[in-house]
Amino acid sequence: MAISPGSGPETTTNDDRPETDSETDDGAETDGRTGAGDETEAEGGAGAEPSADTRAESEGGLESETAPAAETGTRSARADGTLVWPARYVREHLVHSGVLLFLALYPGIYTLLVNSPLRSELLAVLPEIETMVAVFYFGLFAMSFDFISGYTGYLDFGHAVFYGIGAYVVLLVATGKVPLLPAETPFVLVLVLAGLLAVVFAVLIGAVSFRLTGVYFAMITLGFGQVVYVFVRGWDYVGSNPRDGIAVSERSGFEIGVPFVDSLDLAIGQLTGDELSVLAIELSTTEVSYYMVGLVVVICYFAMQRIIHSPFGRVMIAIRENEQRAAAIGYNTFRYKLGAFAISGFFAAIAGGLFAGFRRTATPDNAFFFLVTGDALLAAIIGGFGTLAGPLYGRLFDEGVREFLSKAGEGGGLLPYLREHLSEAVLGTELLGGMTVQGAIETFLNGHASLYIGALFVLFVLFVPDGLLGTIRARLGGPVGKCLPDRAGEYVPERFERYWKGLER
Amino acid sequence: MLRTRGLTREFGGLTAVDSVDFDLDPGELCSLIGPNGAGKTTFFDLLTGVLSPSAGTIELRRDGEWSDVTDASPHEAANLGLHRSYQITNVFPTSTVLENVRVAAQAAGNDSLRVWRNAGSFDSHIEEAHGILNRVGLKRKAGVTARNLSHGEKRQLEVAIALAGDPDVLLLDEPNAGVSSESVDEIIALIEDVATDHAVLLVEHNMEVVMNVSDRIVVLNQGAVIADDRPEGVRDDPAVQEAYLGGYEPGAGAAASDDAADPEGSVASESSGRSNTPEGEA
Ligand SMILES: Nc1ncnc2c1ncn2[C@@H]1O[C@H](COP(=O)(O)OP(=O)(O)OP(=O)(O)O)[C@@H](O)[C@H]1O
Ligand SMILES: [Mg+2]
Repeated sequence: MAISPGSGPETTTNDDRPETDSETDDGAETDGRTGAGDETEAEGGAGAEPSADTRAESEGGLESETAPAAETGTRSARADGTLVWPARYVREHLVHSGVLLFLALYPGIYTLLVNSPLRSELLAVLPEIETMVAVFYFGLFAMSFDFISGYTGYLDFGHAVFYGIGAYVVLLVATGKVPLLPAETPFVLVLVLAGLLAVVFAVLIGAVSFRLTGVYFAMITLGFGQVVYVFVRGWDYVGSNPRDGIAVSERSGFEIGVPFVDSLDLAIGQLTGDELSVLAIELSTTEVSYYMVGLVVVICYFAMQRIIHSPFGRVMIAIRENEQRAAAIGYNTFRYKLGAFAISGFFAAIAGGLFAGFRRTATPDNAFFFLVTGDALLAAIIGGFGTLAGPLYGRLFDEGVREFLSKAGEGGGLLPYLREHLSEAVLGTELLGGMTVQGAIETFLNGHASLYIGALFVLFVLFVPDGLLGTIRARLGGPVGKCLPDRAGEYVPERFERYWKGLER
Repeated sequence: MLRTRGLTREFGGLTAVDSVDFDLDPGELCSLIGPNGAGKTTFFDLLTGVLSPSAGTIELRRDGEWSDVTDASPHEAANLGLHRSYQITNVFPTSTVLENVRVAAQAAGNDSLRVWRNAGSFDSHIEEAHGILNRVGLKRKAGVTARNLSHGEKRQLEVAIALAGDPDVLLLDEPNAGVSSESVDEIIALIEDVATDHAVLLVEHNMEVVMNVSDRIVVLNQGAVIADDRPEGVRDDPAVQEAYLGGYEPGAGAAASDDAADPEGSVASESSGRSNTPEGEA
């Protein structure tokens, strides 16, 4: 393309290249608007992420965003333009690091708080560590759903197929039902194999389904999902009663880490997991599971985010925005959709494998059924469709509310809290029509979590259609990981920067 | 550069494109004109693989060889160097202007499968995108979300995306549609500019523009070519006068195009185009 010279990027509103020379690999966001890495990341896991990795992650992008972004971009350009790179680096990863740090510390915070004087209040409100493990693996599933559905715009209602494949591969291997793979095959290896099998299924299902679009695509994937579900429900190879699924009893805990190196390979699961004491800290099996599952989820998240920010991810977004035009500018959209579908299937299977590894059991109904996909859709909508990290927060919200409204023994929440704290006299007070307060509590709270979640979901769709993360982004004018530091940066960095400049001299 | 032989497309009983033999030479700026419903957009759809012809062939000359591209799909046609802009704006609405063009520039390269690198780190795509925005006059709008552009700016973006694919043959479907007549000079300048380094086939209702910029004009009526000549020749052709030009007189074009009753009124053609073209996209 012949371009008149002198039309380079310096014409843009936002060019921070002056100090990014050393960063050609990931820097150079000449974008008028957002620059940076989409997310505000999420989840737990062992503290500081490897920097090469995270750093590549967070930048760039010309991601499609909303209008006010233009001004934000200009402002951030100004801010960035005067910052030396370490300051910029820290700022760009402020949100990532903050979230990771919080999640890394959460088990400690939880332990401290529930032993504090506010014990029963906090117990009612804070999600348990065990709940958080479920948030992690299911959050990963929801993110993989968002990867295909939120970024290419194709709603995959059969996504549970991949989650189920992950769970069943892990459990079948662990019960010695897969030829060539002994029950004690390292868990991480099985996870990868499960992911690859899901890729094969994704290619087969996608090759047919991507001939269709819109509602028809959703319908045909739902159909495939049901076919697989019904098949698995009747598949007596897994056991005498296939509807009950598979449970592992023999095998020791599923380890995550470096295979065959005991000290770097920790088993997950509540009964079969490892305990660990580092320095003076004792970690229970649930806490070890929290960190190990969280670690895998963080890695998978960053891998998906990497892809979203890559040229491939831009094509996915282009397909969502206008598939006809994406084809007209030269993209073989069918291949890209198939590729994205395979990637999302891979991560969904990892999520299913983690679920099975932690719970040591799975049934057709909690792994393959279409309502499993429905839960992922719920998480994605609450958290923010097309935000990648959002579904994890969506799932946290969902599980948090469920736990809050559940009975004692299932995490405790409002109900046990009220029972414990309201006096007999209050509980016995008659309300309307002879119903006591006690009766009202039982009637309205006991076992109705799903009902309230449903109502919340409706409210979300009506009033927060962009979801939690999507709304925050729209407010900030871009991905949180970029914009929040920019806003804060208007105050903080001058000093910080003076400090750095001082050091450099 | 590009040639069609006996190219035909039927919709049920209607022959929208009727055995068209058409040639486009390298570096040429050819205009395709004709009344509403003449089959101009359908002809573009055939060339770019959006529709498949009922009969006839399309060939493209690449590296000195003619190759048959009749059955190419849209992305294949694009990769062979055939890019188009749309009569009805057809962009990536919630992406920024820059990203709209950048992703098209990316399509022309081989980097789209590099999942381990950031899209923002491919400087060449970004620089190319900025260069093109500069060229079409959208330099200052790079950071704006595409759907928030004004109509005229959307038309410029439409051309910019087509340019970014590094076309050998550029098909422009009414780049001027719905743009107010004051901006005509700018559009003429833009068309002449892009014609310096591409073979261009232009669909345009504004005779002022057509007569000014074209090397050659092809007139389509009810799907068939009724004239194919230099601008002066077409202007004086009685068949063309009859079918399309009505009372066109050089110099009176701008005034004529403000007349809603006149078939060449650009605004009128835009609105009727909306109702009968296949690519209904907003
Ligand atoms: N998908 C379709 N199905 C049926 N008929 C169609 C289809 N697309 C176009 N047509 C018909 O083919 C004829 C040519 O339409 P086309 O859009 O190519 O005209 P045009 O020359 O571009 O007109 P305009 O100047 O209004 O843009 C019209 O009569 C139209 O109704
Ligand atoms: Mg047309």
